[in-house]
Amino acid sequence: MKKKYAGQWLADVYAIFVRELKHIFSDSGVLVIFFLAGLLYPVLYGLVYRNDSVEDMPVAVVDRSGSSDSRRFVRALDATRELSVDYACADMAEAERLMQQRRVNGIVMIPSDFDHKLASMEQATVSTYGDMSSFLYYKNLTMAVNMVMLSEMHGIQTSRFSTAGLGAQQVSQLVQPLKYEENIPYNRNFSYSLFFLSAVLMIIIQQTMFYGVSMLTGTMREENRSFAILPQSLHGHGISRTVIGRGAAYWILYVGIGAYVAGLVPWMTGMPQNCPFRDIFILLLFYVTACVVFSFTFSTFIRHRETVIVIFLMMSPICLFLTGFSWPQSSFPWLWKQFSYIFPSTFASRAFINMNTAGADLSMCSGEIAALTVQIIVYYLLACLAAFWENRRSTMVS
Amino acid sequence: MRRELRLMQQRPVYLIATVGVLAFCTVFFLTFLKDRQPYDLPIGVVDSDHSSLSRNFTRQIEATKIGKTISFTSYTEARKALQTGKITAFFVIPENFYDDVLSYRQPTLSFYVNTAYFIGGSLSYKELLTLANLSSGAVQREVLRAKGLTDSEIMGLIQPITIDAHQIGNPTMDYKVFLVNALLPGILEAIVILVTVYALGSELKYGTSRHLLEKAGGSMSAAMLGKLIPYTILFSALGIICDCILYDWAGFPMAGSVFNMFVGTFVLVLASEAVAFFIIGALPVLRLAVSIAALYSTLGFSMAGFSLPVEAMPSFIRGLPAIFPVRHYYLMYVQEAFYASGFGGWYMQLVYMLLFLFLPPLVYRRLQKAYVNLNFPRK
Repeated sequence: MKKKYAGQWLADVYAIFVRELKHIFSDSGVLVIFFLAGLLYPVLYGLVYRNDSVEDMPVAVVDRSGSSDSRRFVRALDATRELSVDYACADMAEAERLMQQRRVNGIVMIPSDFDHKLASMEQATVSTYGDMSSFLYYKNLTMAVNMVMLSEMHGIQTSRFSTAGLGAQQVSQLVQPLKYEENIPYNRNFSYSLFFLSAVLMIIIQQTMFYGVSMLTGTMREENRSFAILPQSLHGHGISRTVIGRGAAYWILYVGIGAYVAGLVPWMTGMPQNCPFRDIFILLLFYVTACVVFSFTFSTFIRHRETVIVIFLMMSPICLFLTGFSWPQSSFPWLWKQFSYIFPSTFASRAFINMNTAGADLSMCSGEIAALTVQIIVYYLLACLAAFWENRRSTMVS
Repeated sequence: MRRELRLMQQRPVYLIATVGVLAFCTVFFLTFLKDRQPYDLPIGVVDSDHSSLSRNFTRQIEATKIGKTISFTSYTEARKALQTGKITAFFVIPENFYDDVLSYRQPTLSFYVNTAYFIGGSLSYKELLTLANLSSGAVQREVLRAKGLTDSEIMGLIQPITIDAHQIGNPTMDYKVFLVNALLPGILEAIVILVTVYALGSELKYGTSRHLLEKAGGSMSAAMLGKLIPYTILFSALGIICDCILYDWAGFPMAGSVFNMFVGTFVLVLASEAVAFFIIGALPVLRLAVSIAALYSTLGFSMAGFSLPVEAMPSFIRGLPAIFPVRHYYLMYVQEAFYASGFGGWYMQLVYMLLFLFLPPLVYRRLQKAYVNLNFPRK
């Protein structure tokens, strides 16, 4: 008896699974999203963000001092990885014009009293004017000018301390009373692509799946079909079979797409992979499962096929920011922090960044995995509930 | 036109989609990023010295708005917290640090930064660099004071060169200004494209296009104008309201005139509609057209070039941003809001956006045929 039940259960699940796959493969709109977006987008993003950062950003220099000190400063600026001194301007107006024409992204102005102040042991000031249309422009200008300033400073200090009457030994100790050593282990070059891609890859999985599932649900609704058709023989029972059967269809597809996105794409785009694929794959299994039941739950609210595109579009950038990849999680306003717990991508992206980029192992991401598990359970129950209601409604209608 | 207004009324999805989504996104980004910069970034401290100097470091971090400290007893513990993103950075103060400083043995302060989380990482990196350099300065000051130098003399010795930084276009370093100015127009572009594709395509899907042509007296151009004018008004009004919210109410920097931005927004709407017309005309199957439109518009966010500047993209992809109206809008915004350059500075961007209007004629006939014959698969 028990064996027969299990056999029937499996047969039902299988039938629903096959039917759902047929739905998916007969819908061109969904196929475009799953395969074109799921497979092509990660590569495209990988190409767009392939270069790590802006190097040799053009700047204009207005050197009013024209002294050997200021020339040395300018040469040092030009030698940095971040900046390239492309224009030497006679006055600020000329430099501002260059900036406005976007030929340069920053201006460095050395005032006429620069060498005079240095000679008389006062503080000299260098002014910078940064193009703030991108954070990277700002970062380059600030970092390069600060680094040059610090290295120049040590040279100047050495001579000044000795004129202040300190002995040679004391001078060298005093110029640098303590040393510091910086370690930037996971993203040495401040690579923009690495930081951006890691978060986006996970978002693509969730968003395309949600979009596809909702489009199919919407279509069925429009055609007055229920998305929660139950096995005929059971007279309104067997909701789990429907949910599991349909879910299995997406799950199988997305374990494949996910493995490609999280395993193959980082390899193709040359991202570091600091974690064995086995661990990433285990994370994926949790994530894909959570995404399936998440999509099932929220697609219930989709009445029309096309409603979902708007939601899809709006939620993509929002989900991306909710991962905390950019604006740090510790600075989220309270409400939005709670809101972020709705989405599987929040936890999966964090776990993926920590594992793939920072080389954390699976046990260190147990918090995120646990959160995904809670989501799986909650959304599975909600998806069943939704299927139950849908079913009752459609039997009442008929 | 009256028919379209009625349709808009019957299917609230149009209004909800446009007004609701834009409003939600505006509220989200303005409240999510309401602090101009992230405050209280968690920075770990592994203090093996327990001296007054090492405690002073912790206090210095706490005193700034950017950081707050969390102490760890071992390096391993702190590294794990760094790897899992619980802290953005940490520094290690070795044993006998203070003694070594006092006796000029030049001890080393080590710090570790996780830049996989870019913003938090960059900011704490800057913070820790400042800390390290300031501490050197503090030690120097003590020694020089003992030599009997005055404070202003000391400053000239400790920091012979200072930097006076000016940030053009975003003087307060407001992170919102970086993002929202490009994201919202991106979202507007996306909505315009999607809703227009949907409005034009649903006539095909529901087979009502002949009815529409009948109402328009058999004229395709009248039908299209009647259909698109209400949307153009709606989208432009929304866009202009957004401009007002950003540059007036939220106080985003605007060196030029907000009225020029209105012009830009209006042209952005027109260009986006032209793109939408092209998509549905080339592919008169609603479900395909909508998916393609969604893919196109999502790419637009990256292509505006506000996050990664276009010149940093690989050369063979650098031309791609030009096919997104929002890219041109963004360049115009920079000219107007940063430099107040007026018409002379951005008219080319306007021209580029207007060039998109040549797209619809290319597929006009094809769409007309599709409207008359309804000969494309509806599914």
